Amino acid sequence: MKRLLTGSSTQIGLILVGLIVIFSLLSFESFFAVANARNIATDAAVLLVLAVGATYVIVTAGIDLSVGAVLVFSGVVAAKVMNGLGGESLGVILVGLVASLAAGLAWGLFNGFLVAKAKIPAFIVTLGSLGMALGAAYLITGGVDEREVPFPLVSKFGIGRVLGIPYLVLVALAVAIVLGIVLAQTRFGRYTYAIGSNEEAVRRSGVNVDRHLIKVYSLAGLLSGLAGFMNLARFGTTTIGGHATDNLNAIAAVVIGGTSLFGGIGTILGTVFGVFIPAVLQNGFVIVGVQAFWQQVAVGAVLIAAVYLDQVRRARQRQ
Amino acid sequence: MNAQQPLLEARKIVKSFGSVRALTGANFSAYEGEVVALVGDNGAGKSTLVKTLVGVHPPDSGEILFEGREVHIHTPQQAREIGMETVYQDLALAEEIDPAANMFLGREILRGGPLGRLGFLDKAAMRHRSEEAFSDLGVRIQDTAAPVAHMSGGQRQGIAITRAVTWASKVVFMDEPTAALGVVQTRNVLDQIKRVRDQGLAVVLISHNLPEIFEVADRIEVLRLGERVARLRPSDVSMEDVVAAMTGALTFHEEEGS
Amino acid sequence: MLKHPRLTLAALCSALALVVAACGEDDDSGGGSASGGGKDYKMTLIAGVKGDEFYITMNCGAQEKAEELGVTLDFQGPQEFDAAQQTPIVNAVAAKKPDAVLIAPTDTKALYAPIKQMADQGTKIVLVDTTLEQPDMAVSQIASDNEAGGRTAAEALADLIGGSGKVFVVNVKPGISTTDAREKGFVAGAKEAGLEYVGREYSNDKPEEAAAKTKAALQKHPDLKGIFGTNLFSAEGAASGVREAGAKDVKIVGFDAGPKQVKDLEDGTVQALIAQKPADIGAQGVEQAFNALEGKETTPKIGTESTTITKDNLADSQDALYKPSC
Repeated sequence: MKRLLTGSSTQIGLILVGLIVIFSLLSFESFFAVANARNIATDAAVLLVLAVGATYVIVTAGIDLSVGAVLVFSGVVAAKVMNGLGGESLGVILVGLVASLAAGLAWGLFNGFLVAKAKIPAFIVTLGSLGMALGAAYLITGGVDEREVPFPLVSKFGIGRVLGIPYLVLVALAVAIVLGIVLAQTRFGRYTYAIGSNEEAVRRSGVNVDRHLIKVYSLAGLLSGLAGFMNLARFGTTTIGGHATDNLNAIAAVVIGGTSLFGGIGTILGTVFGVFIPAVLQNGFVIVGVQAFWQQVAVGAVLIAAVYLDQVRRARQRQ
Repeated sequence: MNAQQPLLEARKIVKSFGSVRALTGANFSAYEGEVVALVGDNGAGKSTLVKTLVGVHPPDSGEILFEGREVHIHTPQQAREIGMETVYQDLALAEEIDPAANMFLGREILRGGPLGRLGFLDKAAMRHRSEEAFSDLGVRIQDTAAPVAHMSGGQRQGIAITRAVTWASKVVFMDEPTAALGVVQTRNVLDQIKRVRDQGLAVVLISHNLPEIFEVADRIEVLRLGERVARLRPSDVSMEDVVAAMTGALTFHEEEGS
Repeated sequence: MLKHPRLTLAALCSALALVVAACGEDDDSGGGSASGGGKDYKMTLIAGVKGDEFYITMNCGAQEKAEELGVTLDFQGPQEFDAAQQTPIVNAVAAKKPDAVLIAPTDTKALYAPIKQMADQGTKIVLVDTTLEQPDMAVSQIASDNEAGGRTAAEALADLIGGSGKVFVVNVKPGISTTDAREKGFVAGAKEAGLEYVGREYSNDKPEEAAAKTKAALQKHPDLKGIFGTNLFSAEGAASGVREAGAKDVKIVGFDAGPKQVKDLEDGTVQALIAQKPADIGAQGVEQAFNALEGKETTPKIGTESTTITKDNLADSQDALYKPSC
């Protein structure tokens, strides 16, 4: 309990609450409304799924730049498969989901294998797979968005809700909760932290580090595949021209949430806060009427401030 | 010291790294219930010899006998299965996780039932057992839930030693355990070494610190230029003699047996 | 928290900074000035992309009309012409429940749901520049007649290259109603004028990509004579590409007349620009929204004109140029 209260994720959480309070004070009716909260959450859902995968990778002291590209690629694969099968039945949609997940997983395995076995730095590997996945997506579609998807995917899943909460948000929350528990409470999570902290020590303990790293990158790829499917459901089109900065946004969210780029430290709860802070900032600024350009300045400043505060806190604890 | 067979014996170990011949036919023996110090000047091959014995890099040639039988140790895992554990010079601790997590790294206790099969950790049990082990060896840790990074050098050494001792059933290797420690912490470590020996294990101590060696070690084996050149007892020789053996100024006969 | 005074202080300072920034409000929002009757309607213009002179000029025209009618108009827009970036902004604007929104949707399909959500809560919608596949929720759609504009571009290019030869198009990305229409008009017009149309590449609204693809096209067709860039960034980039490749004889017709393109025109890198009337679109947008709010009749579709600007008539066409600020 004490760890929970003094942990960095609590402080980031307080900053998030602080922002919500400030914006609510400045513009209560507009900002602090259920519809607005729902919109913020929906806007953040896809990024949250990406950021959960990014958290695991960064905790191992790795990095994954390919997430946005794999998202696009997986969506393209899913769209092509579903349109190839034809029809609008639930079965077709499920096949599309499986195709999307498989596509993401394939890239994840590719990344993991090269990082773990070939010992190529993760930055380089995932930069390469970014290019390849995006290029492949362009090749498959001929550069033109796949704009036809089974209608129920958008109408039921993309904009549908249960108890007022959009399905997309529920999926993102479920992913965050389950993988948050795994990271904190299981052996898999512990090895993730340990490898990020001291990979050699873990090797000497007899743990198969290579296999674990492959699993971690595969997980990130799988989640990118899920995000690609969610994106397809939301917009009804593959948006291959977009998502260029998803990788950096995911990394920023993870870092704002208190995860260290050097590995060994981080929580999914922090990542959740880290995803919502830029989303709330952007939404709040528009509502309050701040000049559009200030939004980027503010998000950049929050990122630096969050990392700085975390460093200060950590240095003080180490004495 | 009894004239029994050694617990661990290495014969004519050769190990090269590229063109560098680190070990040129080295011998080594350790008996149970003793502290044997492995000394030598820089580059004599001490760390390399230990690493071949614990599976970090297997030797190019030579034999290793454990309890009289030949063994082949190709991975650290195999060394641990025999009952040998190591406290490395760099400690091999993951600093961002807590002492209990480090203690049980690779040997985690899982919860019972279905949760355990999914990999859920029993953190309470691991913490409890670690605390017992620490107190047995006199290692004082105020907050076992804090990451190792928050602890002093002496505490970290204590954690690394406790880890090795808890899991070792036969031999514990320690590479320069007091090198970075202050006076009080060194005292603690030396006491811990004696306690381990008294439990019946063999402790192999690599050290440059002759006064410390003379205080805890039962025997000294001297390495020079990749081979053993002397086997001495602190009770029979002086520190100058040991230094002379290390530099080659004096030659001793490499006796067989004690 | 008080155990960490520095932390608390830092948090409070950040909060203060945000409040100050918030008070440095959008200087583009016209004051609800006293002229004229009518209630103080609140409107927002959501551009396709923030930093584009086309939309800035549109905003200037809209602001003028807003002042005249006594309504307040905010200006918002995403960093890139990207549906995933425009949607959160649309949602945030929706939360303010403005009386009317003028919007240039960045995707004919993806923006349907968020815009419909706004319309359902009573906001009057005017689609400006680009449009949706299903525009039924809008009271009016105002855009240049882009297909006609494309034809005009083909005619201008035919004039410049002497009536025959190979021509190439640099377009933005598929799915944008306006630029797709321009390409369509150009291809038809080029055929009629007897030109040889060799193909089209997408710039993704990035000048660097336009430049790279132009250079590649010049490699493939060394005898290329003319290029049509369908929007500001595409034409800008094509001009850079031609310059970098050293292809002096290639004639370029751009769409839109931003300051950089006008400079290109003056320098001779680009030979003609088809200028829309974004200020006109903006002003008409505000007017249509106002009419809808007042319960008056609205015009479902309005097509504004384009003009051809060359070096020769540049001096007389200053009004048609796009401004980087009002």
